[in-house]
Formats: sequence, structure tokens, C-alpha cells
Amino acid sequence: MLELYDRIQAAVAAIRSRWATQPHAGIILGTGLGGLAQKIAVEAAFDYEAIPHFPRSTTPTHRGRLVCGHLDGLPVMAMEGRFHFYEGYSLKEISLPVRVMRALGARLLVVSNACGGMNPSYRCGDIMVIEDHINLMGDNPLIGVNDDRLGPRFPDMSEPYEQKLVARALEVARREGIRAHRGVFVAVPGPNLETRAEYRFLRGIGADVVGMSTVPEVIVAVHCGLRVVGFSIVTDMCLPDELEPANVEKIIAVANEAEPKLCALVMGVLAGEKVS
Amino acid sequence: MSACLDPGTASSETSAAAAAVRRCWDTRPEAALVLGTGLHRLSGWIRTEAEIPYAAVPHFPRSTAPGHSGRLVCGRFAGKTIVALDGRCHGYEGYSAATLMLPVLTMRELGAEVLILSNASGGLNPSFASGDVVVVSDHLNLMFWKPPPWPPAGPRGVPSGAVVCDRQPGAPVYDPALVSQALDVSRREGFAAHRGVYVGVTGPNYETRAEYRFLRQIGADVVGMSTVPEAVAAARCGLRTLALSIVTNVARPDCPEVVRAEDVVRDAERAEPHVRTIMAQVVADPWPVLPAADKTS
Repeated sequence: MLELYDRIQAAVAAIRSRWATQPHAGIILGTGLGGLAQKIAVEAAFDYEAIPHFPRSTTPTHRGRLVCGHLDGLPVMAMEGRFHFYEGYSLKEISLPVRVMRALGARLLVVSNACGGMNPSYRCGDIMVIEDHINLMGDNPLIGVNDDRLGPRFPDMSEPYEQKLVARALEVARREGIRAHRGVFVAVPGPNLETRAEYRFLRGIGADVVGMSTVPEVIVAVHCGLRVVGFSIVTDMCLPDELEPANVEKIIAVANEAEPKLCALVMGVLAGEKVS
Repeated sequence: MSACLDPGTASSETSAAAAAVRRCWDTRPEAALVLGTGLHRLSGWIRTEAEIPYAAVPHFPRSTAPGHSGRLVCGRFAGKTIVALDGRCHGYEGYSAATLMLPVLTMRELGAEVLILSNASGGLNPSFASGDVVVVSDHLNLMFWKPPPWPPAGPRGVPSGAVVCDRQPGAPVYDPALVSQALDVSRREGFAAHRGVYVGVTGPNYETRAEYRFLRQIGADVVGMSTVPEAVAAARCGLRTLALSIVTNVARPDCPEVVRAEDVVRDAERAEPHVRTIMAQVVADPWPVLPAADKTS
């Protein structure tokens, strides 16, 4: 675990050599949401291959590029394409970019993902602002000897997603007329989608949506002291009693269609950062 | 009653570890204790005959957690010969389940008949208060470990002559007679102890509010990051087990509070006299006769 520190430093050096700005926020763009990156006034872009110790994205819908620049005047770095546990990466590898963002000076992490909706009042294409999560990945990115330079041994998890930012995001949604909810995200390893019995179970233990990402990055963000705001796009409804076979093309189409709404919410939250 | 390992769990690692302990302290312990978070001071009540750092025992893990010192304390406690693990190792430190089980298997190989585990935990049952002791009646394993590379256990219930288990095959993991004995002690001494279910999770982060609700809903009274590997190892090798958990904070997901590791250690230390009282009286008492095998069916 102690070699993690050196890996972070190596990645930081590679990015700093071409982009000297201190980012305010790091953004992780999930399935089908890469378009937010197009709104960034790009000052530097890195293929993941060009950054030491960064994993490679193996998912077809994820590009694999780190974009650095200004978004509506705020310095940000955005990951176009993320890594998943089901690709065979360890949770430590998946979450390394979050530590790099922190080491470059970021204060805030914005995460997004595509998810399955289990709360029956949600609709396909709705956005859920993540209020809290349940980790059912069966693993944890902080397992191993703790490096006290990176964060505490036992991070508190009473507020992993800053409630003020949840409120701000929902306020923006109301103002813009976007259907958005506040809810609980449960993370599973995947890669298979859930059975009907699993959807009943996950709904029963208190989750509103289910996905295969985000939680490892958020645990590490809390460990290293980043504030977090998270968004899930409900790309298919997973109601066990009227379950339809999942259609990946449809899921991606829904994510792309919902993307402008997500952009509006992220921009709204970041606009609040400028005044605060 | 003689104690020896189930052939399914005896391994060259446990033999080597036990041999190293015997070179320093050649006595058969009657009971084994595991001192969890905040219970280091309890070792001061042991009339020490030998002190062995984990580093001197082959194959033993090294403790890296705060509040855990990492040594075997051998000697007399409450009128009996005991061996105690002062400081434990956890899965979140990166150890495999097999490694976490090894110290318990070693203490069994040394001859211990009874194992008393202790830990600090987060309360999920809203009727618990910080500082209460929970006598663990059962556990839920949410630690997601890879199965330890054990050979299959020998045939169960077939007396081989050489193998005598102090725990009945198929009996509950946490010995019901020891559980009642522990609760009796707390009633007699006038402090709060509850019977409850412990859920073991990987950690190392504390739980989110949503996770607290989930764990309460599936039937857990307290949540922690240890104990389950040791209890499973004890059941496997035929040790009778008692586990005592100190509630250091009670989760109230609807009015959350920040959990700090220092507070956890401090609250556990405050309850140490109660755990010590139960441990001492359970160790001192003649251990109740085993429940008949048919009682478990």
C-alpha cells in the first residue's frame, strides 16, 4: 500500500508537466456521459496510456481520456471513461485517479453513472442525486496497510455525499424543470445484471438504484478528504414484477438523451462553487 | 478432557507456530483469550509467565491497527492457565482469512479448550447504549473472504480415538452455556449486557447511514470488522467459544454522528472492567457440562 504514494506522485508529475493549473473539481463521467467534456475549454488532454499507473478502460462506451481545462470559468479535470471492478481491476487501481485529482489540489469530486432504477416512482431518463450508498461490492479500496499521508485508517461515512451539494443540485433541478430525485445507490460487482430476486433484495435493503461503479471512488474521496457530489442517470427501470430484458443500445441511448440534464445539474452545482 | 486439532485443520503452519510458543512457554493453556480494541489493559491482570511478540511466531500476522500491540501473553488469569492474544489482526489490514484464523488454531493446538473473543463494535440495536457489553449469540458473515485453503474436514461425529472435540459437532458457534454464564455474571454484577447478533464487515471505513439501516434490517445488533474469522476457526477446530462485544457508539442513521477511531478506543477502554469481570468469572467457573448433542437438533 505504501507504494501507492509514489504512484500518485508519478501520475501527478506527468499531468503537471503539461498542465500547471490547480483544479477545483475532478469529474468522473460514466457510461454515455462523455459529452460534458465537450463543454470544457481544454488546456491539456491525456490518453490514460500516457499517465503512469493509470489503468486502461476496456469498456466500449468509455473513451479513456483525461481532459484538463476550464468549465464555465472553473478549473476542472474530467475523466472521460472510468474503470470498473468487473474489468478485473482492483478497487485500488480503479480509485487511483481520485487520489491523483486530490494530489493536484482538487477540493471536490463530481461522479456520475448510469444505473438501474428500482424505486417504482422513478422513470427511465430521470436523474437521481446520490444521497447515500450501500457497498455490496464485497471489497474495499482501503484494505491493506494504511498510508497515513493519504488519509485516516477508519474514515467516517456519516456524510460521504455533502448534503449541501445534494440540496443545491435539487434546487437547480427544480429551477430548470428537470425530474430529479434524492436517493440511495447500491454498488454491486456485476458484470451480469441482477436477477429479479436480486432486485427485490436490493430494493428491500433500502436502495433506490443499482450500479457497478462509483462507490470505490467515493470511499477513496472521503478517505483523502474530497467533498463529493454524485449523480445517477436512470437508464432502465428494474421493477422485478415487470422486468424486461436489458438492452445495452437502449441504455446508452437513454444516457445520451439525459446528458443535457446532467450537464445542467453539474454546471449548476459548479456555479455555486464559484460564489462559495 | 484432552484437546487436539481436527485433522482437517492441523497444518504445518499451526504446528510450527505452536512449537515456537512451546519453546518459550511449555505449559498447556486451559483457555485462550483474544483482546480486541481498547482491551489491551486487561493483559495487566494476567500473571505473566511468558510474553511472545507475534514477530517471533512463524506464520503469525503482524498487527498494524491503532490500539493493538501484537503479542502473546501466557500465564495465569482467574485461577487458570491461559494464553492471550494482546492485539489482533484484521482483514482490512490485507490479511487472508486463513492467516487471521492461524492464531486461534495455534492456541487450540497448544491445548486450549475454551476461547473468549472480545471486540469493539458499533451498535445497531437502538436499545443499546455506548459502553454496554453484548454477548454474541450468533453472527452474520459479510466479510466476503476467499475460502481458506483447508483440506476437507474429517468425518464428523466419528470418534477416531485420537481426536476429541470440546465442542459438539454441529453445535452453535457461540457456546450457549457460556453465553448464559456470561449474562449471569452481568446480572449478578449489576451492569448492562445483552444477547445479540454480530455482523462482520470488511471495513476499514465506518458504515454509511444506508448501510447501518441495511445491517439492522438483516438482523444484526452490532457491527464490527473482526471476530468472525476467529469464531469460524474455533468452530472448525472444536473450541468452545464466547465472544464479548463492547458497544462504542450507537448508530442513529436518522441523526447521524461522526465516528472517530479515538472515541471508539476510549469508549472501549471505559468498558474494559466489565469485559474483564465477565472473562474472569467465566474462566474461573467450572465450565458447564456440554449440552447434549440432541439439544442442537
